[in-house]
Amino acid sequence: MTDVTITVLPAAPLHALEIWSNPTAVAARFKKAAGFALPAIGRSDGNDALRLIRYEPTVWLVEGDVSALPGLLADDGALTAIGGSVVRVQLSGKGWRTLLMEGGVFDAESPNFASGCSAATIIDHVNVRLHVVDDDICHAYVPLSYSEAMIHFWKTAALSLTL
Amino acid sequence: MINFSFDGKTYQAEKGDTLAAALLRNGIGLVGRSFKYHRPRGIMTAGVEEPNALVTIGDGGRTEPNTRATDVFVYEGLVAKSQNRWPNLSFDIGSVFGLAAPVLSAGFYYKTFFGSAKRWMIYEYFIRKAAGLGNAPTKTDPDHFSQRAAFCDVLVVGAGPAGLSAALEAAEAGKRAILVEQDNILCASLIRDGQDRDGAWVESTQARIRAAGGRILTRTTASGYWEHDLVTLTQRIAEPGQIPLHGVAQRLWHVRAGQVILATGSIERPMAFAHNDRPGVMLSQAVRTYVRRFGVVPGKRVVIATNNDDAYKTAYALKAAGAEVVAILDARPAPAGADSGLPVYNNAVPLSTNGARHCLKSVTARINGLTQSWNADLIAVSGGFTPVVHLHMQAGGTLDWNDAAQAFVPAASRQNVTTIGGAANPDPVFNVVPVSKPKKSFIDFQNDVTLSDVDLAWAEGYRSVEHLKRYTTLGMATDQGKLSNMAALGRLAEKQGVAIPEAGLTTFRPPYTPVTMGLLAGAGAKDAGAHVRRLALYDVHAAKNPIWQPLGYWFRPRAYPAGNETLAQAAMREAKAVRSNVGMTDVSTLAKFEVSGPDAAAFLEIICATTVGKLAVGRGRYTFMLREDGFVFDDGTVWRLDENRYLLTSSTGGADRMATHISYVRQYLCPHLRVSAVNVQEHYAGIAVAGPQAKAALAALIGEEPPRHMSTVPAMISGVPVIVLAASYSGERAFEIYVEASHAGPVWAACEAEVTKQGGALYGLEAMEFLRIEKGHLVVGGEVDGRMTPHDLALDKMLNKAGGYVGASGLSRPALSEAGRRQLVGLEAIEGNIPEGAMLITGEGASPQGHVSAAAFRILDGGSIALGQLTDGFARHGEELIATSPTRGQMARVRVVAPHFYDTAGERYRD
Repeated sequence: MTDVTITVLPAAPLHALEIWSNPTAVAARFKKAAGFALPAIGRSDGNDALRLIRYEPTVWLVEGDVSALPGLLADDGALTAIGGSVVRVQLSGKGWRTLLMEGGVFDAESPNFASGCSAATIIDHVNVRLHVVDDDICHAYVPLSYSEAMIHFWKTAALSLTL
Repeated sequence: MINFSFDGKTYQAEKGDTLAAALLRNGIGLVGRSFKYHRPRGIMTAGVEEPNALVTIGDGGRTEPNTRATDVFVYEGLVAKSQNRWPNLSFDIGSVFGLAAPVLSAGFYYKTFFGSAKRWMIYEYFIRKAAGLGNAPTKTDPDHFSQRAAFCDVLVVGAGPAGLSAALEAAEAGKRAILVEQDNILCASLIRDGQDRDGAWVESTQARIRAAGGRILTRTTASGYWEHDLVTLTQRIAEPGQIPLHGVAQRLWHVRAGQVILATGSIERPMAFAHNDRPGVMLSQAVRTYVRRFGVVPGKRVVIATNNDDAYKTAYALKAAGAEVVAILDARPAPAGADSGLPVYNNAVPLSTNGARHCLKSVTARINGLTQSWNADLIAVSGGFTPVVHLHMQAGGTLDWNDAAQAFVPAASRQNVTTIGGAANPDPVFNVVPVSKPKKSFIDFQNDVTLSDVDLAWAEGYRSVEHLKRYTTLGMATDQGKLSNMAALGRLAEKQGVAIPEAGLTTFRPPYTPVTMGLLAGAGAKDAGAHVRRLALYDVHAAKNPIWQPLGYWFRPRAYPAGNETLAQAAMREAKAVRSNVGMTDVSTLAKFEVSGPDAAAFLEIICATTVGKLAVGRGRYTFMLREDGFVFDDGTVWRLDENRYLLTSSTGGADRMATHISYVRQYLCPHLRVSAVNVQEHYAGIAVAGPQAKAALAALIGEEPPRHMSTVPAMISGVPVIVLAASYSGERAFEIYVEASHAGPVWAACEAEVTKQGGALYGLEAMEFLRIEKGHLVVGGEVDGRMTPHDLALDKMLNKAGGYVGASGLSRPALSEAGRRQLVGLEAIEGNIPEGAMLITGEGASPQGHVSAAAFRILDGGSIALGQLTDGFARHGEELIATSPTRGQMARVRVVAPHFYDTAGERYRD
């Protein structure tokens, strides 16, 4: 019996936040406004209203209410809507790490890949971004055009995880 | 008991039997026919090195040919068939080739089948009928194959006592450990060697490894060792031919290991003597395995031939099982130790075997120079041990020669790999030089290579071991010479008069054992290897039952046939709707990039070869992009959405390449610019509305005056925010509507309703192709094929005169604007229809001067037209040529014209 459930989460506003200048000052402004720091590479942080996942050196995936961000960025960065291109998939249960090894190249079974960590990787030829919510839940951000195929892939793979 | 069948007859096996054990249990010694001479063959080994007992397992799509009977565990209903025989295994017409063996020696094909290629086509038919192994299945494999990654600190290959201990040590030291074993149990050698009293130790050690977080994989073979300590493992989840639980038959593991420990043991070597391939000739350790692990005694009167101590264990095992050991032929000159109570003959080597009805009847040996024979139904041979160094060598490791063991052992490696156990320290043996007649002394059983073949290759001048291997095919069968390589090297060294290590060594390459092709393809085995990208509006299109067409990684509607329309009829109807009324199509797959920031225009003027900076807010323009060598690689449009925000579109097929190019420019050429370039290809779904009534349709949809050509406005359709771009690919007044993909459904529905109301139609890629060819618009991958400059495509007037764009320097090279280059032209048919892809020639027999890149028919007026590339084409308008496609037997007379067949002044864009 496999212990992983694959659930498609409702569509949500997603943005790419890029900072091109004065990163220290922007980070300070952001922390003051949001109450948490811009997450480092491979990390995510946030709260119920706003969550950021850093997936490139100067780019964060932003989930939630971004109304305050343009003013905060000023001329040091930009915010671009990308929500239409991404499907959020929740992988829940103890087996999510094993599931992510199927067709993968990333060490999702590492104990270091823990709550608050994020990664950008390839799974079965598809670029997927991962965010560990807690020991039992991981969120995957899948390109819309591949989402049907990926969800089918995961559901099929989940049946044979323990074989 | 478990029921299985062999060649249509049902037998019973015990639980845990390999097919080989089960066949022996049922008294079946003849299992197959050899590759070349169709000689009767039996079971020689008990492991993956088996060269003889190759069978076909399973039925239908699950058929797996050339499966080693020693490497498949019997399950209820297993179906096995012998192969390479006709009409049956016992009476095989093909065995006549054995009579012709004297003329079928090494190099036979090279010496015989020469002449014209046509004659080879005749030879080949008969050769393929006569020689071979099993037949590949003709039905689709119904099962699936999984691929999984794993990371560990220590990977231990081989779960004998040494490997099991190493895995335990690693796991209990807190390391992430993986232990793999190709057998279905661990430490099978302990059972073989009568040490099964240690079974409790094996059980408890397994439990401790698992408790410490280690992973143990059985029925898993480490098949390849690659760079950076990447090891591929082949795991059998179901046995060959077996219906797998949940459909997954095998799993390919990609393991990245911090350290690899090879505890791969050794493979026992056969001995070379006449008729050493007969059923009833087995390796000593294999005999012991069948006796002790499977409880099967393969013979009643047994001769043992050896050059080492290990074979004596086999003698004891046989004796204990009730068999009679009639002779132990020990090649060593003196007794090995204390009197064993067995009939031991020293300085004794086997000379030949005799048989009848495919069974062994007697063994003849030379003992101290004299010949002696024994009636026997089994000879167990042990010619020493070859360490399994395949993975070590695949890892780039070198080998040392161990003279005592007469074997190569692992030496240094440039990767983090260590070899332990029997593979590192093989037992000492006595070197035996074959004394039998070489013609029937087989060394490569699977490819029917004898000592005389090696001798012949030597006599014909083949000195290098690599040449000898290829000339004789030694070591090139599916077993990759696991049993044969050392015997061949020994013979070659003997001929050269040198020691074996000086004779050379061939290279071990992955895979260690054969790997099913489907496993390499993985989950995509039935789906061209990768997923197909799905349009956001896929379900909407699918409901209309279109003809789909692959485009890049996507599937897009090619046409929407009505009733019994053909593709051509549907596409022409759709194109006419666009020319005369209005049509709409899905353009979501176009590449799209949102470029923001104070330096966005400057950034785009590096990406694009046209000017961007002077573009007013709300305006757009056609653009194209160059590689650094000055050749055009993509085109599209650029739109100024806001003061510091632009939308860049480019081709579908080039989308990934464009994303890479933008990233390259951003990260390497312009890291200093204040700009963000985000790929929004999938964020926006796109709908194109084109035709004389497009403006009216759009006005109804957005409730305001639509933007003029090459202008853009934000708007609302069905309460959903959209961006409207007034751009045309069809040659008609047209608009592209971009909407966030997750909200595309209602917008498409509203557009379709309005287009239908206007009397228009949906159109697909085929109609779009007709329209753009007639208009003379380029397509990336067609006219833009990586070899054309802006000059060649008549785009040079649009180049940014200030330069500074990627490719500007490359483009300045004089050769790129000299005469004699291929240039874009239009082609009109004078006679016949122009074949797409045809060569352009001036007359029969002349050299091609260009080709047709795209062909179509005039949509409203009829007549065949095309776009093409022609040497000095701009200056040849009016010239008549021949467009010929010899491969399709098609030809047309054409006239060279300008590449615009419709509305050359562009008046239809304007209101």
